[in-house]
Amino acid sequence: MKPAPFKYAKAETVAEATALLDQHADDVKVLAGGQSLIPLMNMRLARPEVLIDITGIDELSGIEVNGALTIGATTRHVEVLRSNEVRAFAPIIAAAMRHVGHVGVRTRGTFGGSVAHADPASEIPAIVIALDGELTVAGPSSERTVAAADYFVSTFTTDMEENEILTAVRFPYPLDRARWSFHEVARRHGDFALVGVAAVAEVDDAGVCTRARIALSGVSDVPVRATAAEELVVGSTIGEVAAEAGRLAERQIDPGSDFHASAEYRKEVARALVTRALNDMATKGEAR
Amino acid sequence: MAIQETLNTGLNIQPEAEADAVLQRRKYIGMNVLRTEDPAFLTGRGKYTDDVHLTGMLHAAFLRSAQPHARIVSIDKTRALALDGVIDVITGEDLEDTVGPFSTTVHRPEVETVTRAILNSKVALYVGQPLAIVVAESRYLAEDGVDALDVEYEVLEPVMDAEKALEEGSPLLYPEMGTNNFAHIEFQRGDVDECFERADHVFKKRFHAGRFMAAPLEARGVIADWDASGELTVWSSSQVPNLVRTYTAGPLGIAESKMRVISEGVGGGFGMKAHIFDEEVLIPAASQRVGAPVKWIEDRYENLAASLHSKEVIVYLEMAVQDDGTFLAFKGHYIGVGGAWPAHPWTSLIDPLPAASLLPSFYDIEAVGWSIDAPMTNRCPLGAYRGVGWTPGHSARETMIDDIARELGIDPLEIRLKNMIPDGEEFVTVTGMKYDGGSYSASMLKVKEMIDYDGLRQKQAELRKEGRYIGIGWSPWVEPCAWGSEVAKANGFAAEFFDAASVTIEPDGSVTVTTGCHNHGQAHYTTLAQVTADTLGVPFESIRVIENDSATAVYGTGTYASRTAVVAGGAIMRAGSEVRDKIIRLAAHAMEVSPEDIDLAEGKASVKGVPDKVMTMQEIGMLAYYGGPNRIPDTEPTLTATRSYDPPETYSNGTIVAIVEVDIETGKVHLQHIAACEDCGTMLNPMVIDGQMHGAIAQGIGGGMYEDLAYDASGQFLASSLMDYLYPSTTEVPNIEIAHIETPSTVTEGGIKGMGESGTIASPVACLNAIADAISPFGDIKIMKSPIGPNDVREMLRAAAAGSNGSAPATQPADVETRLSQQAEGA
Repeated sequence: MKPAPFKYAKAETVAEATALLDQHADDVKVLAGGQSLIPLMNMRLARPEVLIDITGIDELSGIEVNGALTIGATTRHVEVLRSNEVRAFAPIIAAAMRHVGHVGVRTRGTFGGSVAHADPASEIPAIVIALDGELTVAGPSSERTVAAADYFVSTFTTDMEENEILTAVRFPYPLDRARWSFHEVARRHGDFALVGVAAVAEVDDAGVCTRARIALSGVSDVPVRATAAEELVVGSTIGEVAAEAGRLAERQIDPGSDFHASAEYRKEVARALVTRALNDMATKGEAR
Repeated sequence: MAIQETLNTGLNIQPEAEADAVLQRRKYIGMNVLRTEDPAFLTGRGKYTDDVHLTGMLHAAFLRSAQPHARIVSIDKTRALALDGVIDVITGEDLEDTVGPFSTTVHRPEVETVTRAILNSKVALYVGQPLAIVVAESRYLAEDGVDALDVEYEVLEPVMDAEKALEEGSPLLYPEMGTNNFAHIEFQRGDVDECFERADHVFKKRFHAGRFMAAPLEARGVIADWDASGELTVWSSSQVPNLVRTYTAGPLGIAESKMRVISEGVGGGFGMKAHIFDEEVLIPAASQRVGAPVKWIEDRYENLAASLHSKEVIVYLEMAVQDDGTFLAFKGHYIGVGGAWPAHPWTSLIDPLPAASLLPSFYDIEAVGWSIDAPMTNRCPLGAYRGVGWTPGHSARETMIDDIARELGIDPLEIRLKNMIPDGEEFVTVTGMKYDGGSYSASMLKVKEMIDYDGLRQKQAELRKEGRYIGIGWSPWVEPCAWGSEVAKANGFAAEFFDAASVTIEPDGSVTVTTGCHNHGQAHYTTLAQVTADTLGVPFESIRVIENDSATAVYGTGTYASRTAVVAGGAIMRAGSEVRDKIIRLAAHAMEVSPEDIDLAEGKASVKGVPDKVMTMQEIGMLAYYGGPNRIPDTEPTLTATRSYDPPETYSNGTIVAIVEVDIETGKVHLQHIAACEDCGTMLNPMVIDGQMHGAIAQGIGGGMYEDLAYDASGQFLASSLMDYLYPSTTEVPNIEIAHIETPSTVTEGGIKGMGESGTIASPVACLNAIADAISPFGDIKIMKSPIGPNDVREMLRAAAAGSNGSAPATQPADVETRLSQQAEGA
């Protein structure tokens, strides 16, 4: 369990990183927290010829609230978990973060790394989808913004080019008046989700839902929105349609089977968790 | 003393009075003495195999088969040998003239011996099998070398279904054997047929106990230094260093006297490291070949795929039961789902044979009959792990008893108490096992009180009205322990098992104890010093215990099977009593009184009633070694004794209860609480016993609910990293509450019984029974496999809703005779 030979460079600026990526575009990987990449390299399942370490680029790390919440790509999970700004702006992020690995993983792993790795069963991509996140992506000559819906392409694959890096994740909408709920079923605490749900909703004074986002992890090759359920919820009193919304979510997805859970299981649990999340939001406004 | 006459015979019986006298002096035995081992571990100074660095040392990596069953057409070494830093590439052909085979068997007529080359580069029999060794200047370079080996496989049909492997026409792992089944064993006591005819009910069950493993934090590792003078030193992460020497010296062609095996720090053994592994021969062979020390440290993939798996047994059970819940007789057929070969030296019978032998447990039945088959399949070899086959046997029997209790409408506690043998007395079971007294019912009643069972049942009923489902799982156990010759024979493994200890007073009065057992977490350096202190009457602090090195400790067979407290403890009591006698005689002579007038305590020999007539242990030590004419005439210098002990049959017991809540919609099981009461006879150190219980219960939770070494039908291994092999972490293990009852053994030295494995024997089924109890309102729920995860819970609930039961299979099992006769016809 030792990696194949590789070259290593530690970039000091985004420009340097993207230039190096451009130069070695054929067989290069970006190293941030290394919590997924390094095990894959040790098992020789990933064999990049060049590794560009971006953890030394100061501008990529940090949390900023300025109307929107911006989390720098190399911000460690533990900093996000402990951040009062994050908790005030979008408590669902802190709630989801508790399910990300365990203390060791959260100490080294990075927020942007989890997004860019694009594991469809992990928590942060589902959060990015649920909160309409915007991904800032830098290339050798330009920077662009990608909407969450366009960013995740398939398992471990994103909209980014080989010479681009994710620099920040921006969440435009504060959740100070929204209701939210996060649920996940994993084999053990900290494992990737068998099924997870991240849901947010805004409700008017009459108790009618005006906006809803319901994102599911573990049920497809990307985190997905349960759009049929969302459409039902908007314009309704959430608690009254929770069960039906769960059924709609179940009907919309077509998950795979693996050694830990069958497709049938994932569908049943998606339904249960969506219903549960909506009931949470109907009664308590939030949940763990 | 006539040491020669008594050493290692396993037959020397010490008068009971010796051990009784030790217990009468008890000062340290039974106390929570803090572990003297801990400072090194807590300060990062434990010395594990990978901490050994030798001058000029090279590093090995193995090419391991990617195919479950294949002929190896060729392994091309060219590219690997061309790499800078790669020293050698070794395949089976290269070792044909220097390394002999392993012949593995259990010595009984029903068992066939399997003889095989230790490095087989011609046929691959499981994913992970070593095919070649690359030796290089670093582990990185060695793995680059493995990468550069070009292997051509001719794929053969894999044998994965253990029951089909027994059928005629199945593909064979060893065509020359003509069968995949290396053992068929049958056993019967009492009139089984009559009981089944008389019974009001006959229940049948198929239970497929899953494959799980020790997965120690420190995986295995071997370093070999075969030096220029022909002496071989091996460092191996083993719990049986002397057996490694005895079993590998033959294949390596070296005298045991020229070989030293060191297993200093071992980061988890759990029975897995009580085997002799191929690498323990191959790394020395590589060192001999390249003329330099060679190190190999097992990585996590190798550990998961290719060290040793355990526990997988398919069990068919039948029980003859009366209307009132009285058990009349049990029948069982145990199919051990073996791997590519029988693990050396215990074979894969270490699961089905103990499982079958202990079929009656402590239930007072009239008759028992069982049979065993041991098919080999294209999986990693199957071998011992904490609790061996008692775990799957116990899981099958105890889930079935819960099924029966539900069927008959009897409480699961009551049906067990009703059928239990009496507490406290010696009892010969229907199979002939000689139990040495226990607290079988008392331990259940103790746990009943600990969990407020009646109150909990009420709470369960109330919560069900709210749509919440808690469950209570009972699991009382009896554990054959100490693994002396008698208990081994009672479990089907007739061979001599003993261990030895030497006790020495050094010239300065300090005490050195060595044993042939092995300390790898059980705190022997603490607990055995407690025994020594009370045996000799010396301060605990004056004692040093040495194990783990064949050159510095007395020869013995190592630590496994909950044996050291009994076997080494007993050997120390024997040797220590001899030394104590000599101390008293020396002191009495020197102080001119008779030996009866000497008090020996706190490291001082004093004359009763004469407080100023005292000799310190240092004075006695100097007298013993250098006293010349002041010593008793005609006594030899030195103050030491070596004795061995082979204990009679002994059995510890206890009860574990698990309490769970099941989320019906997601199948997720929240294990809320574990309560246990254990009885291992005389306790040496209750804190250490609690630790053993905690660790073993946690591992059993893994086997019951999480850990699954699954293969797909094509033989590919699915649990090849810790992302898929799920052992429970701190978030999955609840608070564990332990109570103790002490029923001293009626037969062993000091009344000590073994302990350490029972948690892994009993906690899986405590969890399984709790899950079934929780969801039983939903229909006919029967647990038919382990582990049970959320997906399985949902499957059971779906099946119950659809009117059929259980997790698998949908069909009712055929009875044991029909199955056997079908097999006989097939064979």
